[in-house]
Amino acid sequence: MQNGANYQELSRRYGFAPKLESASRLTQLVARQDSDVDEIVKVINKDPALRDRLLRVANPDAENAAEYSIETVEEALMRNGVGCAMVLAMSTPLALALIKTAQTMLSVKMEMIDRNLAEPLENEHLLGTIGFSGKVAGAVYLRMNLASARMVAAEILGMNPEEMADVNEIRDVVGELLNIMTGNFKSNLCDASLDCKLQPPEVKLSTDSQSPVVPGGGLERMAFRTDKAQIFVDVTANPWNSED
Amino acid sequence: MASKILSVDDSRTIRLIVGRALRPYDCVLCEAGNGEEGLAVAAREKPDLILLDVTMPVMDGVTMLTKLKEDPALKTIPVIMLTAESGRDNVIHIARLGVRDYLVKPFKEDQLIEKLSRNLTLQKREAAPVAPAPAPAPAAAPQA
Repeated sequence: MQNGANYQELSRRYGFAPKLESASRLTQLVARQDSDVDEIVKVINKDPALRDRLLRVANPDAENAAEYSIETVEEALMRNGVGCAMVLAMSTPLALALIKTAQTMLSVKMEMIDRNLAEPLENEHLLGTIGFSGKVAGAVYLRMNLASARMVAAEILGMNPEEMADVNEIRDVVGELLNIMTGNFKSNLCDASLDCKLQPPEVKLSTDSQSPVVPGGGLERMAFRTDKAQIFVDVTANPWNSED
Repeated sequence: MASKILSVDDSRTIRLIVGRALRPYDCVLCEAGNGEEGLAVAAREKPDLILLDVTMPVMDGVTMLTKLKEDPALKTIPVIMLTAESGRDNVIHIARLGVRDYLVKPFKEDQLIEKLSRNLTLQKREAAPVAPAPAPAPAAAPQA
């Protein structure tokens, strides 16, 4: 009975949440490499959040939209390249998965904030990394200071932060958070025919807040905040990886 | 009779969340950290249902599911996928192998219970009998 089912039928049967069309569409368009730029512009203009993020990246010195010298998606693509839009589109499912995880598993509202407005990380923090390789290659980095990580782990496990004395337990929660985010991210890539495999997550204490950029790729840096915690997520990806 | 559920996930966090969701119900939870262990526990414990992750070390969930469906003694055990993988091709492939349901992470505990209830009879645990209140201690004899 399930043999002939297509994805839409299965998606309905299993009660999947609808996918973000603009991210999938943009990923597919850019992955093709020969796409018409006008088509890419049209897709970005239909998604105000994506458009805003692209313009913010294209105007790195501006403190707000009134200071933007680059005001249109076309200009932003000319300045930053289509690859930049691709990394932004790819990071959208990641950001949504993190926000949804906060809502469902932590019962807290999480919002994406301007990275420049976030409080800087403490020197030593928890760093989770997952690499991916295939038609697209790169890595996702998740950073939290220890207090934030302890709070997040305690909320997910239904414990008091004071009970979370075991760093390995906190690491496991952070690793799973990373797994959930990156699984959603990978699904979007695979749907755009950018098949890739995830490496196992690695979570460790680190003092380095720089994320290495994958050769030939771009970097998107995001920050998220709840009332008690801050989370930093960096994505680096080369959407035209030659290794497959 | 208590239902027996096998949770196969490399994340202890997920196994703890599953255990917490099932705490109010009369069921036995078995655990495995990868597909290879999952097959061994399934053969030994004969669970009523398996919750299965996809991305795991040693043996992934798709390989475990394939082997499970090839084993005459285990192939009828219902499987619910519990994974962050929701890519079109993966979902179609997994559905073809034969799963009862599919829950994408992140998930709410209520969603998990709802999916399990469609495939199992989950009965609430009986509340522990309330112990009779102890008789009040006799008043201390006034000291002379």
